[in-house]
Amino acid sequence: MNESLQLRASLLIAACLIGCGSSVAWSGEAPSQEDLAFFEKDVRPLLVKHCYECHSGNETDGGLALDSRDGLFTGGDSGTAITSGDPDDSLLIEAVSYKNHDLQMPPSGRLDDREIKTLKQWIKIGVPDPREASTPTGHEPNGMSVEDGRSFWAFQSVGNPSPPTVADKDWGQSPIDAFVLAKLESANLSPATKADRRTLIRRATFDLTGLPPTPADIDAFVSDDSPNAFADLVERLLASPQYGVRWGRHWLDVARYADSNGLDENLAFGNAWRYRDYVIDALNNDKPFDRFLIEQIAGDLLPESNQETKTATGYLVLGAKVLAEPDREKLVMDTIDEQLDAMGKAFLGMTFGCVRCHNHKFDPIQQSDYYALAAIFKGTKTFGDSKQGAIMHWNEHTFANDEQTAQIAKVDASIAEKKKAASSFKNKVIAEIRASARDAAVEYLVAATQFKSTASLNEVASIAEPHGLHPRILHHCRLHLEYHRSDAVLVKWHDLASQSQSVRVHYTRLFADATTALASARKKDPKAKRTGDKLLNEVLAVLDDPSGLLAVPAKPEFAFNADQLRRYDELMEAARIAESNADDLPSAMSVTDATVVSELPIHIRGSHRNFGEPVAREFPEVMRTSSVRPIFPANQSGRLQLARWMASTQHPLTARVYVNRIWSWHFGRGIVGSTDNFGLLGERPSHPELLDYLARYFMQSGWSTKEMHRLLMNSSVYQMESTGNEESGIAVDPENHLLWKFPMQRLDAELIRDSILAVSGRLDATLGGKTVPLRNRQFVFNHTSVDHTKYDSLRRAAYLPVIRNNLYSFFAQFDFPDPTMPTGTRSATVVAPQALLMMNADLVADSADEFATQLISSRSTDAERIDLAYQTAFGRAATKDETNRAIHFVDDLTSRSLTRSDSVDANALHQAWSLLSQSLFASNEFIFIR
Amino acid sequence: MNTHELQSRRRLLKTSAIGFGHLALSSLLHEQAQAEAPVESPLAAKIPHIAARAKRIVFLFMKGGPSHVDTFDPKPLLTRDDGKPLPFDLPRVTFAKQSNLLKSPWKFKQFGQSGLPVSELFPHVAKHVDDLCVLRSLHGTNPAHGGALLKMHTGSDQFVRPSLGSWVTYGLGTENQNLPAFVTICPTLAHGGVNNWGSAFLPAYCQGTPIGNASLSASKAKVKHIRNERIDPQMQRRQLDLIAAMNRDHLSVAGRNAALEGRLNAFELAFRMQSTMPEVQDLESETELTQRMYGIDDPITEDFGRQCLLARRFLERGVRFVQVTHSDSEVQWDQHSNLYKGHTKNAVEVDKPIAGFLADLKARGLLKDTLVLWGGEFGRTPTAQGNNGRDHNPHGFTMWMAGGGVKGGYAYGATDEYGYYAVENKMHVHDLHATILHLLGMDHERLTYRYAGRDFRLTDVAGVVADDIFA
Repeated sequence: MNESLQLRASLLIAACLIGCGSSVAWSGEAPSQEDLAFFEKDVRPLLVKHCYECHSGNETDGGLALDSRDGLFTGGDSGTAITSGDPDDSLLIEAVSYKNHDLQMPPSGRLDDREIKTLKQWIKIGVPDPREASTPTGHEPNGMSVEDGRSFWAFQSVGNPSPPTVADKDWGQSPIDAFVLAKLESANLSPATKADRRTLIRRATFDLTGLPPTPADIDAFVSDDSPNAFADLVERLLASPQYGVRWGRHWLDVARYADSNGLDENLAFGNAWRYRDYVIDALNNDKPFDRFLIEQIAGDLLPESNQETKTATGYLVLGAKVLAEPDREKLVMDTIDEQLDAMGKAFLGMTFGCVRCHNHKFDPIQQSDYYALAAIFKGTKTFGDSKQGAIMHWNEHTFANDEQTAQIAKVDASIAEKKKAASSFKNKVIAEIRASARDAAVEYLVAATQFKSTASLNEVASIAEPHGLHPRILHHCRLHLEYHRSDAVLVKWHDLASQSQSVRVHYTRLFADATTALASARKKDPKAKRTGDKLLNEVLAVLDDPSGLLAVPAKPEFAFNADQLRRYDELMEAARIAESNADDLPSAMSVTDATVVSELPIHIRGSHRNFGEPVAREFPEVMRTSSVRPIFPANQSGRLQLARWMASTQHPLTARVYVNRIWSWHFGRGIVGSTDNFGLLGERPSHPELLDYLARYFMQSGWSTKEMHRLLMNSSVYQMESTGNEESGIAVDPENHLLWKFPMQRLDAELIRDSILAVSGRLDATLGGKTVPLRNRQFVFNHTSVDHTKYDSLRRAAYLPVIRNNLYSFFAQFDFPDPTMPTGTRSATVVAPQALLMMNADLVADSADEFATQLISSRSTDAERIDLAYQTAFGRAATKDETNRAIHFVDDLTSRSLTRSDSVDANALHQAWSLLSQSLFASNEFIFIR
Repeated sequence: MNTHELQSRRRLLKTSAIGFGHLALSSLLHEQAQAEAPVESPLAAKIPHIAARAKRIVFLFMKGGPSHVDTFDPKPLLTRDDGKPLPFDLPRVTFAKQSNLLKSPWKFKQFGQSGLPVSELFPHVAKHVDDLCVLRSLHGTNPAHGGALLKMHTGSDQFVRPSLGSWVTYGLGTENQNLPAFVTICPTLAHGGVNNWGSAFLPAYCQGTPIGNASLSASKAKVKHIRNERIDPQMQRRQLDLIAAMNRDHLSVAGRNAALEGRLNAFELAFRMQSTMPEVQDLESETELTQRMYGIDDPITEDFGRQCLLARRFLERGVRFVQVTHSDSEVQWDQHSNLYKGHTKNAVEVDKPIAGFLADLKARGLLKDTLVLWGGEFGRTPTAQGNNGRDHNPHGFTMWMAGGGVKGGYAYGATDEYGYYAVENKMHVHDLHATILHLLGMDHERLTYRYAGRDFRLTDVAGVVADDIFA
């Protein structure tokens, strides 16, 4: 370091301290030539080399620009980079010295000491820097302003449109028809004709219950000549408890429902089913949606809160969480982020997740809005007080009485006992194996002279077994010798290895000496573990090290013989089964209030290590419906106020988002196509007036979901055919957004499965109850990856376990949504593995077998059987050609089994009918609903 | 092609995935795109951004976190200061409690022309050291298995995101119509499970196809539903003909529709795959010499040897991304205690198969355009946990690459003198991903997918390509 510079520096600092007060900033005074030379020669190259890539020009990572003097002092998200004159108080120096593990720059590696010294010096002398400002703002562009946002369609209050006038006065039968028809007419399109009764009952039955209509249902409807026949059908279907199973499952998609945590540690959500049943009941009872919303967000805080409303808050707990995240503060903020994101998408069609780190890049939502909401959730308790090692438990509310609690404690103890029985057995056997290996230590060393350290286990076994040695212990022993060529005890083995007899003699004596020496030491002190001799102590260490020379394999299947292994597996399996089948404490996943957080600092770039301005609890500014600000209670999290605000009839989004979902689940596509995103990047409504009409009607009808079904289904739009005037329709509106025909839809995964079971008479339509075969908080998979979850239940698919990280293959292949993300719109892909499933899965083949049995036993001619098959599977009669083709298929397959006798083998006949049945299940007509 | 057909095909490409045969449709799309208006499609990104150095990739994943200071990153000071305290700060968050420095129980030796050091644990791999590009400065953020696995495989330890393999599939497609583009052999179902090979919001054809899982031995690993145990193929062929006839009738009633047409193809592809897959998995068709090379004759190396040999068979048939996982159900590479015993066992199980795999790829001319990646979700601490174990260490660890356009016999980056933190040429997991994509001909900033209103990348907003390692 240049001494004159140092001197200058201290003078400068002194001057500044006097002249500039406490804030040591470079005054307008130009730096000296000498300082500038220092900057140019030493500092600038260093900044260019190490910093400019990310902190210059348009690249201002972390909001920090280092290519101008202003940039340095303006700093980035974390504040000013430099305190002139005080390197130790400068973030720049903190970052480059790599002392703070959360702030290390440059990321590619620490600068060398000389470079750091240069930077320190530069700051010390007052940061001489001739570089002009390139006007670095250090801030990212925002999305829409809140003012502009208020005029964006989704944030405007719900309008009160009247149905438009249309040219064709005869077509419509419901107010909604006019909205659709008006758009069609202005596009010169005409609606498709009305579908026939068979098509309509199939469409409506799948739509409302997720099941096919029975042939008897179809006959009754087709022959019903009442003008209200369809409306009556809709009422009958809405009254069926299977309605709640189907429409509850729609909501479960949005609620990202699952029976396990997924992510890092996949623990069973053994009580999630209570939330699932709550949802299904809510739909069946037509619980008003505003109430449904409030219960899920704040059911625990309602004045009349009860078991049901507390269970509803399971909604907030169902998210996938990184349960073993060692940084607990990060875990808390990650969990809040998940809750805000899920809640925003589900109820408001807003993507709040983006706003954790920066103002929304598109929508008029500020970081302050995010942390105002986050404060509410930070005052909410999502995690419980218990944990398993590093794995946190989520919060639950228990309904158990003392007796039940005591009973479950006993069950817990008995499971622990069974687990202990397995581990004690394992430890005992390993101890025995270890003892016998130690007794035969010399034999191992002798045998080890017979092969090289790279020998295969088979070779080793051929040497070990004749001497009663354990092949894997011998294998390890030889490797250990290889790794310990200079070990005081084992070096001799390498010297003598060519003469096995010498090895025997040497080590027999050595081990005997050690044993004798230890025995005599123990005469003096019964607890002695060492002798007086250094080498002999090392001998004892070699013999007794459980992971050394004679280490026993840790894996039971490598260590144990067949009998021992069988016994051990039995004990392990007994423990696992006991745990899987054990009752849980009656409790529900739920939140409760924690310490109230009335304000929370903005987390800069989402980091929980870098705080900005604190913000108080609030609702997002752009969605506020009143200029009178809410007063949040000092003794509650504020969730109840939030929920009531969301469920207000004045909220611009809540009703719109929900009625749009209902529309989308009926028509396969929403009026707003992006059901979970009503923001700038979402789609615009195809029929904005219709959407508002529906939202208003919905609120007027008391937020009744069933009333919406009546409105939508008793319409001409719903009852159109799925083929229309294709030529003009495709030319003008190829995606059918204007609804010139009813959109054909592929059945959802659950519906494909349930229909196959229903048609073959195997479906068990029981409702409710625990169905996941795992105890609460049991590992779905431990490290063994063995999948114990079975999907062979014949209950409706909504009751099959939803295991994150390992979805049921039938679900996964047929586009069941990722149960970690709210999903309002499922996709319908076509991939080859779906075909493999339909061709080869037991579920399909077993059902086809069952269907075949019924066809054969209940009808006597081929034609009758084929007709029954078509009526049951497709809801229509088979055509003559179809009957002939099917008969030909059955004949063809059975004729293969014809032997010299003329009789057809009964098994072959059944198989032929089964394959025919399976073909019906696999066909497009079965899984596409017109 | 009329509008209806174009529309039909366009929708087919967008929403349906055509399973394993999408390359054919990709080229069809390409022709169509030239002949007609430009078509927006996820497959359109298949034109490589940059010259590809590797055509395919295989990831030999060592689950649990192998220790770098005991394998490929020797630390003389660690040996010297055994038992002393770490002379600098521990990270703010550690997984478990740390005690003093623990020297490696294994010795290192230099190998090959390059003289790169390898420990006694990998005597066979050491013979290939001149083909290895040892990356000694990896670092991630998550010190727990679940988070670290997800980070390594998807770039995110907090959200469900598409996996590396599915991004590669999305970007490059595949070269074999009858096989999946991305297979993962015996993957672990713990710690992220299917998310580690899932496609998240990418099209369904991008997801990895698991062959068995970590609870099954490699000899029993199969694709689900790949066989019909009840009927012979002739009978099934007859059945598929019936289904096809029914579906064609239905088309004439229901009108032309991409998904309906796509399903006709899907059944045919599935039928072909039923015969292709077992043929790939027939390791008995390999010579005895080859089987021995992979250690299949030795019970200790058999399982991983089978996985590696299977990987080679997939790679040579045009599969784009193959992952092989060493994840022993009892003793993974996760030695919180008994480092010596556990690592000895694990290394012996994989050393010879990996060496055989490298030799075989080389002999068949595949190594030059196949990128081989070896490593775990993190490394281990130079400090002891208990008295003979090492804790998780995401702050500095080693992976290595071979083949596929990387420098052989080369060490890149460094950890500090004890091996705790990456300090020189630091390579974050995002940087690793960016580098891998680059080697495969993709610019990680341009390989994007628009979902929920945002363009997503494997590397999120990070990632620097380490071009120093390119040959």
